[in-house]
Amino acid sequence: MTLISRISLHRKLILTISLICAFFWSVFSVSWDKDLFNSNGANTTFLILGSLFKPNLSPEILILGVKATFITLMYASAGMLIAIVIAVIFGTLGSGVLFGNSVFGNAIATISRSFLGFIRAIHELVWAFLFVSSIGLSPYAAVFALGIPYGGILGRILADILADAPKNSILALRTSGASRLQTLFYGYLPMVSANIISYTMYRFECALRSSAIMSFIGIAGIGYQIQLSLSDLKFDEVWTFIFFLVAMAVLLDFWSIKLRESMNIPKHERKKMNWVQISQVLAVFLALTTWIYIISLDDASFFGIFTENNLLFAKKFFSSMFGIGVENPAFLDIEQWKNAISLTIETIIMGVLAIGFTAVASLLTVLLASKNVATGQLTMGNSLLTKPFFYLIRGFYIFTRSVPELVWAMLIVFIIKPGIIPGAIALALHNIGILGKLWAEVIDEMDTRPIRNLQLNGANYVQMLFYGVIPSVFPQFLSFLFYRAEVIIRTTIVVGLAGAGGLGQEFKMSMSFFDYTNVTLLLICYIVIVFVTDFLSGLSRKIVKENSAIAEP
Amino acid sequence: MKKFNLVFLALLSIILVVSGCSTKEEAKPKKEDKKVVVSDKPFKIGAIPDQSMADITRSMDDVAKYLSEETGLKVEFVPSVDYAALVTSFQRGETQLAWFGGLTGVQARNLVPEAEAIAQRPRDAEFKSVFITSVNSGINKLEDLKGNSFTFGSESSTSGHLMPRYFITEAGIDPLKDFDGKPNFSGSHDTTYKLVEAGTFKAGALNIAVWEKAIAEKKVDTNKVKVFYTTPDYYDYNWTINNVDEVYGEGTKEKITKALLNMDSDQKAILDLFATDKFVETKNENYTAIEEVAKSLNIIK
Repeated sequence: MTLISRISLHRKLILTISLICAFFWSVFSVSWDKDLFNSNGANTTFLILGSLFKPNLSPEILILGVKATFITLMYASAGMLIAIVIAVIFGTLGSGVLFGNSVFGNAIATISRSFLGFIRAIHELVWAFLFVSSIGLSPYAAVFALGIPYGGILGRILADILADAPKNSILALRTSGASRLQTLFYGYLPMVSANIISYTMYRFECALRSSAIMSFIGIAGIGYQIQLSLSDLKFDEVWTFIFFLVAMAVLLDFWSIKLRESMNIPKHERKKMNWVQISQVLAVFLALTTWIYIISLDDASFFGIFTENNLLFAKKFFSSMFGIGVENPAFLDIEQWKNAISLTIETIIMGVLAIGFTAVASLLTVLLASKNVATGQLTMGNSLLTKPFFYLIRGFYIFTRSVPELVWAMLIVFIIKPGIIPGAIALALHNIGILGKLWAEVIDEMDTRPIRNLQLNGANYVQMLFYGVIPSVFPQFLSFLFYRAEVIIRTTIVVGLAGAGGLGQEFKMSMSFFDYTNVTLLLICYIVIVFVTDFLSGLSRKIVKENSAIAEP
Repeated sequence: MKKFNLVFLALLSIILVVSGCSTKEEAKPKKEDKKVVVSDKPFKIGAIPDQSMADITRSMDDVAKYLSEETGLKVEFVPSVDYAALVTSFQRGETQLAWFGGLTGVQARNLVPEAEAIAQRPRDAEFKSVFITSVNSGINKLEDLKGNSFTFGSESSTSGHLMPRYFITEAGIDPLKDFDGKPNFSGSHDTTYKLVEAGTFKAGALNIAVWEKAIAEKKVDTNKVKVFYTTPDYYDYNWTINNVDEVYGEGTKEKITKALLNMDSDQKAILDLFATDKFVETKNENYTAIEEVAKSLNIIK
């Protein structure tokens, strides 16, 4: 063993230990001693879960659901189109493939990447609040609020993929006299398009959920219906609408899988009516209907945003955010800072708790959710129970991840007392579905031979998990966990809006009381924790990668 | 793969072209409209979402219809999901007339100095909040709330948050520290009594009018929930009108005020939904006390 590998092993150990410590710290910072549940929480739980099995399927509700789903889909696609435009422009600039390795090129790349980093740090719902206050409640406020952070996320991925693309064929193009722009279109893009498209499809599924929670600023759609039914405590309707969300996610997932399958087949071997063609038609169709729909909405004139009056209000809003003409702005007030910092700590605890819950719950279920186990390939054993468990847990994953964190939070505050615990549980519920799926896919693709060896030598489930599966999938598991951690921290503010405490709740209060300088202060704290998390996560992923690279023969 | 790039490029151009064209088409006729007939612009009214959305939409659509008939304006009701969103839209001149609560009215008039509170229900001059709890909770006075879970309505509500918070604080209870957990914000008065009835929260505070209506319509079971404290009087709900004469013509404010004050038994259906038999005059000064309370609780700076 070389010195380097010793150090990196060491580092990995430190990383793992600090992760576990962070989780325990968060668990102990929350007061669990007082009874956690609302008085009568058991009954409410029963009521909510009971209506899960008898959703309201009356024709009016179903028709309402279809209409609302359509609206949600329209906003999601409109937002995605804007996101794609942002991603293509800034992602390409940020990748550095257009201007090469000059000082100018590097500067452009750095600026573009920081810009993308900033716009994706702020959650879409926070963007939405800011837009509504500055440009008014127009459908465009929701579309831009969706498009901007999604543009940031897609843009970063595009930049990363372009920068990491193999350089051989590009070099070949360059030497035969192609310009940099030409290498982009004929070299880079064809190489990375499959990757990009499959990631975009996944983001589209997320955009649907984001579009649903735009109800919080008053945009119609499935989230709006859920909110209305929730405030009347009609849980049977709530579940019906949630099933619409689930159905949308399943359909999109199906589309994405089919498209990927079809793209993996060489062109000349594809059937006449293949999914690549179908997808092209669908995409164009969606893009057209979306914009026709948004524009046909009442008052949704795009240039209406830029009227003199509107600019005046936007200016007013932003200057009050910066405390111009405000006596004693919050961000210059020690007391307010103390308050904001204690809320920030609360928010971090909520985030870490959520990450811990997610990791534990996914770890407990992931083996049963992997295809390898279900088919008996991994364990050789073909128990009668594995198949049903596989479908049950995969179904559970799809279900929990189809419901936005905000909606989970709104439901859970009926059961658990308002505070950071319901927030953490809401975040965890949504993320178990995502992390569980990602992890299960890692196991699906792992080398099964060592495990079968263990099995043949008489190892039981726990032994196989700890000596077989975990060591070989651990780096990738951690890497996905860090990636989700970034998302979870970014979303803590959103569950706070539903009464789960932390920065989010205070943000909503300050918006309601028109205390815009406090909004600024809270946003500063929020952006700092998002950036710090991104930084730590990036660092940790590097450590994990280093180690796994060494582990490979 | 090449095809895909083409599709993406095509998509991009379509977005740009489509959004470009249609907005141009739309923008033009609108401008002309403004110049030719001023009052053709819809006159938008709103209401704070303090009750179940279905009830509000029903009553406000009727108000819009009535005002259209009386004034000749094209009155439309625009629903709002959030108290603050209504105040913002009022500030931006997107809502011309709004049914505000005491606090939201003060916020709106602070943002639009020309705005004026023009009408209210007789009961709004002596409005109250009720504190409710389940019958066997053992809570009998405000001081007993210590150590129990509690829910307000919306954070922007006068009768569901501001005044109850004021009287709780007066009783020596710190709403941030002395409850069992943090106080909840249910969002609306209807949700508040439903949550207390369901036992989700031990106690809650809400608007007396909504409470009495719920009892009259048997929406709440008084065998399960009881009132244990009723606050002293304060000024609450009001119709506040924006600076409308400029856009809709001189005398619009007067016309609207008159129409509201003239509602009588012929508009019984509308008035019933507001739980009143008429609207009476009011003025901005009536709400100074509310503003003071909001300032003392740091809700208005």
